[in-house]
Amino acid sequence: MKKIGIFYSFRSHKTKQQVKKMIKHLGEKNVEQVDVDVASHKDFEKFENYIFAVPTWFDGELPNYWDEFLPTIEDDSLKGKTFALFGGGDQKGYPENFVDGLGIMADFIEKRGGEVVGFTSVEGYQFEASMAQRGDQFVGLALDIENQAALTEERIEKWIKEVEKAFNAKNK
Amino acid sequence: MKSNFPEKYSIKKTDKKTLLEWYRLLFLGRTLDERAPNYLKQAIGWSYHAPAAGHDGIQLAIGQNFKKNKDHLFPYYRDLQTCVSAGMTAEEVIYNGISKDADVAGGGRHMSNHLAKPEWNIHNVSSATGNHTLHASGLGRALKTYKENDAVVISSQGESSVSEGYVYEAINGASREKLPVVFVFQDNGYGISVPKEDQTANRKVAHNFEGFKNLRIIYCNGKDVFDSMNAMEEAVSWAKKEQSPVVVHANCVRIGSHSNSDRHELYRDENELNYVKEYDPLAKYKRMLLRYEKATEDELKEIEEKVTKEVKDAHKKAIKAADPKPESIHDFVIPEPYKSEKYPDGLHKGEGNSIKLIEALNGTLKAEFRHNPDTYLWGQDIANKDKGGVFNVSKGMQQEFGKHRVFNAPIAEDYIMGTANGMSRYNKKIRIVVEGAEFADYFWPAMEQYVETTHEYWRTKGQFSPNITIRLASGGYIGGGLYHSQTTEGALATFPGIRVVYPSFADDAAGLLRTSMRSEGLTLFLEPKALYNSPKAASVVPDDFEVPFGKARVRREGDKMTIITYGNTTHMCLEAAEKMSKEDGLEVEVIDIRSLIPLDKETILKSLEKTSRALVVHEDKVFGGFGGELAAIIADEAFELLDAPVKRLGAEFTPIGFNRILEAAALPNTEKVLKAARELAAY
Repeated sequence: MKKIGIFYSFRSHKTKQQVKKMIKHLGEKNVEQVDVDVASHKDFEKFENYIFAVPTWFDGELPNYWDEFLPTIEDDSLKGKTFALFGGGDQKGYPENFVDGLGIMADFIEKRGGEVVGFTSVEGYQFEASMAQRGDQFVGLALDIENQAALTEERIEKWIKEVEKAFNAKNK
Repeated sequence: MKSNFPEKYSIKKTDKKTLLEWYRLLFLGRTLDERAPNYLKQAIGWSYHAPAAGHDGIQLAIGQNFKKNKDHLFPYYRDLQTCVSAGMTAEEVIYNGISKDADVAGGGRHMSNHLAKPEWNIHNVSSATGNHTLHASGLGRALKTYKENDAVVISSQGESSVSEGYVYEAINGASREKLPVVFVFQDNGYGISVPKEDQTANRKVAHNFEGFKNLRIIYCNGKDVFDSMNAMEEAVSWAKKEQSPVVVHANCVRIGSHSNSDRHELYRDENELNYVKEYDPLAKYKRMLLRYEKATEDELKEIEEKVTKEVKDAHKKAIKAADPKPESIHDFVIPEPYKSEKYPDGLHKGEGNSIKLIEALNGTLKAEFRHNPDTYLWGQDIANKDKGGVFNVSKGMQQEFGKHRVFNAPIAEDYIMGTANGMSRYNKKIRIVVEGAEFADYFWPAMEQYVETTHEYWRTKGQFSPNITIRLASGGYIGGGLYHSQTTEGALATFPGIRVVYPSFADDAAGLLRTSMRSEGLTLFLEPKALYNSPKAASVVPDDFEVPFGKARVRREGDKMTIITYGNTTHMCLEAAEKMSKEDGLEVEVIDIRSLIPLDKETILKSLEKTSRALVVHEDKVFGGFGGELAAIIADEAFELLDAPVKRLGAEFTPIGFNRILEAAALPNTEKVLKAARELAAY
């Protein structure tokens, strides 16, 4: 398997714990962790497979560190690159914008020719609207540690297996 | 947030010069914003300060998209950065903050942090948050009427103020009339300490407007300079191109408390206070400039040092600047009215046929519309084919002057008043007549705009005069009950900044209306609707008749007592006086004051020198009625002349009942006047 670049903010402790679980499944040698806060174009271009941790902030926004990184790759073609997205949201507190960040990121990637994999079912969540929703699926893994913390581990385990399969299939 | 509009600006696409200028503006705004509380701590001023920090992205974008002397901008009290971005200097901001005479908003008359520069079309707005949305719609109507397709109105407010009903009226009107107005909602999640979930069901209040036709809604991240610039540029160009309104909903954070009278640590936890700081738009922008090598640390430092010096210099100058003079409080309460050369006392010796009061009003309105092409009339139910208002005062006007000058308004009294205020900001030639409500008693929803509009001339130190005549069909004797038969002038005459007139004859109605429509300033024109078609109010009216404000008319001479009155009761007083003459042999002088504000005290006092007895009569309630002022003035200034206490007659202190028996019981009539006059004569 080609190395997967896992991009997230190293300042986010919750995300770090979630990433750890993913690495446990994928194997340390198969991944490289990249801190989005300081990531450069060089850090980005060396991968073909990516996992982006994209939590949703405020009423449906990307965190600053993503806003600040994305211009680095805004002129790139992402054709041939594959992305899996996960991120936290709060379906009770922000039901109108639940995990919007995933949807915003998926749009950004797809507009530049990249492929997003690892869609998950919206079943089991209660929310009003989400930019991450396409039909009956999210464009990535939605985690809600505010309201469904007990489901997080199981959701990650299930999702990462699917993501691994998708990456492998692309790499054949 | 990545939204659905073109991305013209980004850290990579925008040229370095522009990026550095934005940094300068952002740093200047922030420096002033952070300095403001020091003035209060040192008891110098700026006692109201609502910090802009956290709104920097959208405020920079509003200012950058405003073209001075072309567009119109209504900033709210948190828009310091907006005004700096629009071009206001550090000196101008500090003058406003510490309320100096040189403050370009209005010489320290309005609250601090209410920045404005009317000279550039940065309008001076109320503290009643969001009420300028109505003015924005009114100005949008002016841009449309005068075909200024290359200009736009930008109105800015916090998300919580959208809860105000008048904001919905403003946006409904802009949507219906397709007005080029950009309404910006700066959403920081709080209205003082009240979280936005206590304001409306949708987290993003702009969602509430998604059903409005002709209205585009753009969502953006107000903390991000580029997203905000792209959103505002799109909003402004779309509003101009489509000649339609836009709502820009910008998500911000409030880094500080609501204002310096609020302590946000009482209701926000440490975690929240930390993360809003982390999302500081200025810090983000600076990081991006450095990350993408658009500026070096040294270049930014140089800008910061220059700005710091600029603010220090401005501070030194502002501290030494003159304060407003106490004796200036009487300046700019209301503009000088139109002066009548032909009829300086508002009297005439016209001969010929009498016309009814309603004909006098209709004829004068038409004559003034022919005289001045910049006159407009709107109100409820005022123009549909042959109908011109519930009483047909404006009959035939739309046919003659067109739908762009004479038109119906929605049933929204505040919108009627507020858009008059807004449209009259466009230029000084415009004269607006509004039927403020179908009946005077329905005017109450417009009270906030009424009060607001009385402040404008004074608050701007004479820079803006709302040139509006508010016509209201007033009073009872028609069996209308509550909302159709009450008089309102007792309440409406308590505000400095408005003239109040209340004619009782056709000639005075025509003359006062002409003067109102030719004058600068705000005039409340009360029409005694019971007299519209009454033969007793009919009179000969010269075509060019004018009645100056503050000129009473002695309608009947006498020496036994003076009755001071106006409106419907003038006729009762005249009838009572005739009876007293015939039955008692006493001659009563009847003065129709015609104009409550300004008041012709001279005529009243002169009459009392002769009669020594005063009876004040009006239709409004005695308690709290305008007669209380008249009686007090007489007591203050003519006590030595009096042989008897000043007597007052008016309505009982009850609402007016619908049943005519109830109405008659409450209101004055000729018999009651006669009784009061006889009692006074016998004292």
